[in-house]
Amino acid sequence: MERKVCAHIQCRLGPMRLGWHGTIQTVADVIKMLFKEVYAPSGADKLMFYLAPLIVLIAPFIVCALIPFGRNLVVADVSMGIPLIIAVNGFGVLGILLGGWSSNNKYSLLGALRSGAQMISYEISFTMILLFVVMISGSTNLMSITLGQEGTILDWWIFKIPVLGIVAFILFFISSTAEMNRAPFDIAEAEQELTGGYHTEYNGTPFAMFYLAEYIALVTNSALATTCFLGGFLPPCIGVAFVDNYLNMVPGVVWFFAKVYFMIWCYMMVRWTFVRPRVDQLMDFEWKFLLPVNLVLLATGAAYIVIWG
Amino acid sequence: MFPNLTIPDFPLSFPMGGIDIAFYAVAIVMLVTAVFTVAVKNILQSAVALIFSFVATAILYLLLHAEFIALAQVMVYVGGVVIFVVFTILLTSHLGEDAFSTKIPRLFAAFALSIAFVFVMIKCILPVESLSSGVVSAPEGYSGLEQFSLRLLGYGPDGFIIPFEVVSVLLLMTLICAITIARKTKDEVEKEKAVK
Repeated sequence: MERKVCAHIQCRLGPMRLGWHGTIQTVADVIKMLFKEVYAPSGADKLMFYLAPLIVLIAPFIVCALIPFGRNLVVADVSMGIPLIIAVNGFGVLGILLGGWSSNNKYSLLGALRSGAQMISYEISFTMILLFVVMISGSTNLMSITLGQEGTILDWWIFKIPVLGIVAFILFFISSTAEMNRAPFDIAEAEQELTGGYHTEYNGTPFAMFYLAEYIALVTNSALATTCFLGGFLPPCIGVAFVDNYLNMVPGVVWFFAKVYFMIWCYMMVRWTFVRPRVDQLMDFEWKFLLPVNLVLLATGAAYIVIWG
Repeated sequence: MFPNLTIPDFPLSFPMGGIDIAFYAVAIVMLVTAVFTVAVKNILQSAVALIFSFVATAILYLLLHAEFIALAQVMVYVGGVVIFVVFTILLTSHLGEDAFSTKIPRLFAAFALSIAFVFVMIKCILPVESLSSGVVSAPEGYSGLEQFSLRLLGYGPDGFIIPFEVVSVLLLMTLICAITIARKTKDEVEKEKAVK
């Protein structure tokens, strides 16, 4: 899908030959990846080299298990969903650092260090926005966060709290983009400067795992945004009984995936639209702009809850 | 040899349920990775072993129904401390060089210390009655997030508000210290301007 959106923005066709408009291109790519030979560069730390892709995959899969896809469709309905998400996010940084170091390649190491620094910094604002969501919804369980938004479209957290909800949503969008190392914050693998970033030396299945982790992270972050701000699997009711009846007939999973795909599409549009900032600009942006704004947001959110909540 | 020490009956019972087996398996993993942390020559590998040891500790907490502590363990140690350790290793260390070797006297001292520690632990812990016959698990929800935070911020007899605030002052101090160290002095700023 990424390549289609990319091509669309750049007025190209994108992959067209396999299946209808290139729909099974992804399958072909995966098969190609799996058949490639797996080898490590000489001088690489073999154990770490093969361990890193495994570690990278931990976080997205655990988060995937926590997301409620429908009213009864959730793998693990744990009471501490949000702290768990924050906790496992640390593994991603670790995997990238190890992968970059063990490749024994200076481009990889540089990419890994950049990306590690970036992910650690943006994790703070990511966490703070999740904290804001926890504060307004009064629960850390993703299921009850979703159910707290029941009602019309105006009951979703993005609209329920005037202005603050939208601000929080935009901040979440920015920091999750950076957290996933996606463009415009992809200084970790900036092709023009670093060849390929931390996974320069990987090929075959391990590379596919890095790639997969990146895209699953895209899906889970979109799903998280959907759950926390866009009402999860609840239909977008508008308060008119006639329309709402029809909207309610559509199962929640469909709504959920529609919203998730909308979010993914937003991420992709952003990726192919904006230019990449420099490393120091990126860090300044996080520490001197996002973090103070987040703190203010938390404080005003608390004030809102105390006064009107 | 030790006249005062009467070795009590071995109080560990082994009710072999699934949870117990899991507990001991995770404990063994934890110990093995901890030994690896100390023994491995490559310093980065030892950091990774340390991470697995921390994760195993977190799983032990989970098995003991202390969810929040488990998550805090992963968040603070795996997500924070060890990542920074790995960072500093990558930025500073001489990974190609040979590992430093410990000298014999130090090794001996460490050995003696650990033996003494084990001795004291056995002497102090085994005689405690309530440990061998106490309640195994806390009541439902006792260590849940809500109870936990309510007690942490409570100012009643069960509250921990004062220690909590003291700790936050400590954290504030470390933050200010970090900023003071990282801040550029006036001379440095002027030098940079001169270069430009």
